[in-house]
This record gives sequence, structure tokens and C-alpha cells, in this order.
Amino acid sequence: MTPEKKAYKRDVIIEVIASLMFPLTLLFGLYVMFGTGGTGGGFQGGTIMAAAYILYITVFGHEKGRENMPESVNALFKSLGLFLYNGAGWICILFSLAAAQWLNLPAFWPVTDFVGVPGSRSFLVSYMINVGIGLTVMASFVSQFFDLAWKEEEEMGGGEE
Amino acid sequence: MSLQEMKPLTWTGILVAIVLIAASLYAIEDVPAFGDENSAANKYIKLFTIYSDAALVEALNAGTLPEEIKMQIYDLGFIKGPTCKGCQDENYPTLEEGNYKIEYIEKGTWLGGRIYTEAGWDVLIHEGEIFYNEPQQYYFIEEKYGNLSVFRYNWPVRVTERTEEETGIANVVTAGLADYRGYDTMGEETVIITGAICVILLLRRRGRL
Repeated sequence: MTPEKKAYKRDVIIEVIASLMFPLTLLFGLYVMFGTGGTGGGFQGGTIMAAAYILYITVFGHEKGRENMPESVNALFKSLGLFLYNGAGWICILFSLAAAQWLNLPAFWPVTDFVGVPGSRSFLVSYMINVGIGLTVMASFVSQFFDLAWKEEEEMGGGEE
Repeated sequence: MSLQEMKPLTWTGILVAIVLIAASLYAIEDVPAFGDENSAANKYIKLFTIYSDAALVEALNAGTLPEEIKMQIYDLGFIKGPTCKGCQDENYPTLEEGNYKIEYIEKGTWLGGRIYTEAGWDVLIHEGEIFYNEPQQYYFIEEKYGNLSVFRYNWPVRVTERTEEETGIANVVTAGLADYRGYDTMGEETVIITGAICVILLLRRRGRL
């Protein structure tokens, strides 16, 4: 089979609606991810952001999706989330303030005072942990979707022979 | 291999390994043991024991907390206001008349998600919350071998009272997720990243199987 691509059918309505929804869904994912004072959290925020990327890939195709979310950035996010989480724990342990079970969040009060937010001692670690979880979840889901979509495209194209 | 033949990358690796080992040794000293009864989250709270008395039991059955028990509880620091000079203010609900309620509970009752292995009196305190307007269990008094033992309910009460002071987060659920059960959440995140890596390894083989 010739390596030329199958004609990629464009649909104006779907593309316009998806390009409108994509940034708004990302924004909503960020809002949920940072909403740890209420009902939000890292897992749900990451899932919503991954859903935004999956919508984008479904509508605009695999290659344009790769331009939007390159493999290097994906791998970076995937490990960066875990490093953020574990880094918060390491800093709390190394400052010798593990008086609660593991993460004693007031360990950060000098930092937050230095930044200029006195009274909100837990701000940094609470957000750091949830953003870490969200980044890992988002990058993992997007990476799995990319892998499955790539496989399907290759099978439809008749493989490499 | 002599020292001069080592590449800079090797040096960096060795240094990072040494720093990590030192930090781990330091951390092992510092982390509280799992299941430690005296750790903050797991504290089993038996407050004190006093000699039982017919008058005390009668007062408890009548629904009033005897002065002996009340004073002991106050002496332990479960009051409003500071317990010493320069201390932080405590914010425990006080045992004023009309503020609490005493109920006798039979042995073997299911209540509040647990079974009562001993009969005793529950002391419920009305906190004056607007939206959760029910009295909450605070103390449990049990009579055994001529003694009255006073227990304090552990986890839920502790969470509602102490979360903001200990972790600095106003949201109890976030504090539970990220602080008290921080190891659990870290494991969940590790499970997710391991799944992603396994999918990558399985699906990107390009015909090798």
C-alpha cells in the first residue's frame, strides 16, 4: 500500500466546537486541580485536563495532537508530578518536622512568610502535592491514548510492509 | 578503575548516591513508626480512672456529669482558652450545664459504626454548629471492678478539633488525603505512573513480541 495518507475528512462544525471547548476544558481542569479548599483535587483535575487533550486528538488527528503535546513534554510531566510529590515529603522530613504522620505542612511556614503569605502555612505543600498528582494523571492518560491511537492508525495504514 | 579515569558523570552519580543514602538514614531516624500507639493520629485515649461510688453512678444515670469527673477533664486541658501562660488557646467544647447530654448504652449495641463491647455512658456535647446541629460523642465512661474509667473518642473528634492546628489546612478531607494518609496517596500516584510505563512498554514494541 502506498504510504500516502488517507484523506483526512474535515468537519467545520466539529472542529470549531472542539477548538472552543479545548481551552475552556483545560481551564476547568486547572480550576478543579487547585480547588483543594473545596471539593476539587489532583486526580479529578488531571483527568479533566486529559479529557481536553483526548478531545483535541480525536478531532484534529494524531499528528496535530503530537504538535500540541510532544512526547518529550509528556514524559517530563509524567515524572515531574511524582517528583513534586516526593520532593514535598523529602523537604518536610529533612527539616525534621514530621510530627504528624508524614507531611507536616507547617514545616513550610518560613517559606510562606518569606513569600509574603503569612497565616497560610499549608498553601505551598497542599497545592504542590495536588498539582503533582494532576500532572502525573494527565500525562499518563494522554500517553496511553496516544499509544492506542497510534496503533490503530498503523493497522489501518496496512503496517510497514 | 583509578580515580583519574572516572568520567564526570560517574562522579556525579556517586555524589548523588551518597547524599541520598545520608538523607535516607536521617529520615529513618525521624519518621514515626507505623502503628505506634503514641503517634499523633493513633493515640488511644483513656483519660483517667477514679473510684466508683453509688452517688456518682446515680448522678450519671440522672444525666448530670459529677463534679469530680468534670474537674479532672478540665485539669487535663480540655477547656477553652490557654492552659498555661503563653500557650496557644485550646478550643475544646466545655462541659457546661445544658451543653451536654448523657446516654446509657447497653453492651453489644451498634451505634455510630462500631459495636459497644462494654456498657457505659456516652457524653454527647452540643457544639452549636449551624448546619450539623446534633450533639457529638466526646467522652465514654465505663464502670468496671468498682472503678469509673473515662475515655475520649479518638479519630473523628480529633480530626474536627486538631486538623487546622496540626496541618494548617482548613479542609479536613484535603488534610486527610495529603497529610495524614500521605503515604497512601503517594502509592496511588506511583500505581498510575507504573501503569502508564507498562502500557508504553507493551504498545511500543513495533512488532517485536
